[in-house]
Amino acid sequence: MAPKVPFNASEISEKARRDLLLLLEGVRGKKNLVLEKALAGSLNLLVKFSTLQEYGVDKPFFLENDNVDSSQRNVVFLVRGEKSKTVLEVADQIKRLRRNGSVEHEFTIIWVPRRTMVSDQLLEEAGVLGEASVSEWPLFFVPLADDVLSLELDEAVTDLYLRKDPTSVYLSAKALMLQQQKYGLFPRIIGKGDNSKRLADLLIRMRTEVTAGESSASDGASFLGLTPSSTIDSLIIIDREVDFPTVLLTQLTYEGLIDEVFNITANQTEVDSSVVGGAAPQPGQTASASASMKRKVLIDPKDALYSTLGDSNFSVVGALLNTAARRLQSSTERNQLAAKTTAELRDFVTKLPGYQAEQASLKLHTNLAEEIIKHTRSDIFTRCLEVQQNIMSGADPTTQHDSITELISRDVPLPTILRLLCLESTTNAGMRPKDLETFKRAIIQAYGPQHLLTLSSLEKMSLLSSRAGLVLGTSQAAKPGTVTNYSPLRRNLKLWDDDVNEAKPNDISYVFSGYAPLSVRLVQSIIQKQTLANAIKPPTHPSAAAQANPLAQGLRIFDDVTKYIRGATFDETQTGEEKAVKARSMLNGSHNDAAKTVVVFFLGGVTRAEISALRFVGGRLREVGGEGRGSRVVICSTGIVKGAGLVGSAIETETFG
Amino acid sequence: LHGAPGVSFEGIARAAYDEGRVRLATQLLNYEPRPGKQVPLLLGMKEDTIALDKAIESGDTDLVYHVLLHLRKKLPLAAFFRVLNTRPLATALVESSAWHQDKDLLKDLYYQDDRRLEGSNLLLSEALESTDLALALDKLKLASKYLQDTKDLAFHRTQLEDAAKLLRLQETFEKELKMESGAFVGQSVNQTIFSLTRLGHAKRAQKVIAEFKVPERTATWLKLRALVSARHWN
Repeated sequence: MAPKVPFNASEISEKARRDLLLLLEGVRGKKNLVLEKALAGSLNLLVKFSTLQEYGVDKPFFLENDNVDSSQRNVVFLVRGEKSKTVLEVADQIKRLRRNGSVEHEFTIIWVPRRTMVSDQLLEEAGVLGEASVSEWPLFFVPLADDVLSLELDEAVTDLYLRKDPTSVYLSAKALMLQQQKYGLFPRIIGKGDNSKRLADLLIRMRTEVTAGESSASDGASFLGLTPSSTIDSLIIIDREVDFPTVLLTQLTYEGLIDEVFNITANQTEVDSSVVGGAAPQPGQTASASASMKRKVLIDPKDALYSTLGDSNFSVVGALLNTAARRLQSSTERNQLAAKTTAELRDFVTKLPGYQAEQASLKLHTNLAEEIIKHTRSDIFTRCLEVQQNIMSGADPTTQHDSITELISRDVPLPTILRLLCLESTTNAGMRPKDLETFKRAIIQAYGPQHLLTLSSLEKMSLLSSRAGLVLGTSQAAKPGTVTNYSPLRRNLKLWDDDVNEAKPNDISYVFSGYAPLSVRLVQSIIQKQTLANAIKPPTHPSAAAQANPLAQGLRIFDDVTKYIRGATFDETQTGEEKAVKARSMLNGSHNDAAKTVVVFFLGGVTRAEISALRFVGGRLREVGGEGRGSRVVICSTGIVKGAGLVGSAIETETFG
Repeated sequence: LHGAPGVSFEGIARAAYDEGRVRLATQLLNYEPRPGKQVPLLLGMKEDTIALDKAIESGDTDLVYHVLLHLRKKLPLAAFFRVLNTRPLATALVESSAWHQDKDLLKDLYYQDDRRLEGSNLLLSEALESTDLALALDKLKLASKYLQDTKDLAFHRTQLEDAAKLLRLQETFEKELKMESGAFVGQSVNQTIFSLTRLGHAKRAQKVIAEFKVPERTATWLKLRALVSARHWN
């Protein structure tokens, strides 16, 4: 048996796809599909619409539009079942169809990822449970790239930090549990943050539940399912709450900026058709038939050109595009010249589609990059960046207040302002009460009184708060773990790097042109201890071996810094029966540590810049063959976040009148 | 029995309950590790609060909601709130679902727990939802009255009063300048100053600046932007 690769993206996609198609097959004949908008992206990543058509889907409708018609007898709802609001919407639409339709409809509800007791209860009360056949589609992780798995829970941030609703923690635990059942227990679960702790506890708890389920089903319980994995090194869980500033900052990688400027959902972005202009329709482009002049573009991680561009700092993207253009030009030209014999000509022609795809991709990204440059050259963008960089490098934040006030007066979009203010508050353990009040008044006057609610929500999410003590570190020291204190961290983890190299990065700080994301530093302190230790405290003798750095012992850096960081810290070991462990390693063949997988789970979302930084770490580890904890890094998260989304979840959208 | 795998404690507990030995059944259920099996049986045995605690322990919000729905129907409101009182997770879940479906329940909840800021915010959001200006003003008044006795929320209260003041002022402008309703109402202070300046009503703009103590720098920026845009439109 070949060794199985844990957290295999294509395997996960394939299973999800098969499960869905099987469910659709179960509904005989043609059917109309009613889809929750939030699921459309995931569905698009997993199944082509033409495949759905082959399985009898006639027309797709969005649940939110409430416009499913009676053109088909079969109506299939595909919705998430966790929120009572969606359940009630489904019930209402079933009732509407039943009332209006001349047809006797057959209803099928497919809950994602599971059928809930509450949904049954609500449907029963609405009197529609009896006439719908109910099933579930266990869709948890949706692979966005080979090393990025997302639960695509759009509301996870709002739920977790504003409403304090831990549903996403539970779903994360379920998702991870499914992987554990397949590839074995995580030998170690390390993490930081209160919600992370809850997730780890749930994972440990669920283990006993699974054993109980297995043994009472008594079908020859597989002991292997619950022994430590020999292919996974550990699971590292980072709670978003631990490090909000990283999300609030403007991302400076190419992919990050595409997300900031155009917004990426499920690997697709919508740009004005003038930007992509006359670009010939490419396989990846699904031109939307809607009346708007927007066009959907696939941001494909498998595209060869993009895979190098996406994770680069934007400042070098121009140069990279240039080289790619030159290479393409020379290869086509020279080949044309050299194509004298028929054999060479045939060879050239077979390569031609590849060149054409590359050319189309080059054209697309040149246009996108140009559009982003327009954005980054604007006065407001540079002013915001300046404020951000000053705050992150540790300047006294009050020196930035004039800039922020001016930006408010110039009616810069509210999310931008809130990101700056929350950045100051979260990096400095709150703002001075007087300053906070001034800014609150300014925001309400500039953007409307409805934002009293916005500000309350931000405070509830602890993104914006008033500082109790006057001097940092004196009164705060009394309560460790209540806030993340960046002043000592900046030094202890080298969060700020003045001489950052963006073209040939030697540290993760390149993704923010100076700031190294705290979340990724934490991960480094577990899996890349040597490199990090040397970065923090460069060895005095360059000849001294890397191992010599005393900082790199055990989890020392991790332990040292976690006391400055908000939330619980934990390090759990999962063991199993000796015999079973041996059996597992026999089955999978022996693995050296370097080849093991490290799973990094971001609870409450991950930014694209962090993904790039982690890929950088993973790449380095692969080069040196790991630093003791494996070198394949898989990133999992409840979803992708960015600053606008984080503060956006707090923003009140109603206005008076 | 505890050490032996493959024993379904749910089954034994159910048998005990059927025999009428409720206490024994509850005790036995403590050994059942699957909350999905544990909670419904507990509810069936009318051990409601134990069921709720077990559901919370499991981390499965579906189970918690399930028990909460059950309790909400069964208990009088005051007793329901008492159950929530010591369980923050249950309270959070009730709040998050009630915000969309049952604002009255929330109002009672905040009142009972003396959570003034939240109660006031709820009224503010109702004011925002109402299309009728008079009704919105009433709600705003209530919202600020709600905060009357709390000193540390004085800032919030002033802001609510300012909001009402702004709405009344905007209504007057619309009448005086014979503009259709909605031309000013709903705008922020800055936007109002901007619109007034652009339309050439400098005096009224000045009045708003004075009324809300808009900082000089902000006022200058606003005027500058408004004048530039007015010229642009000419």
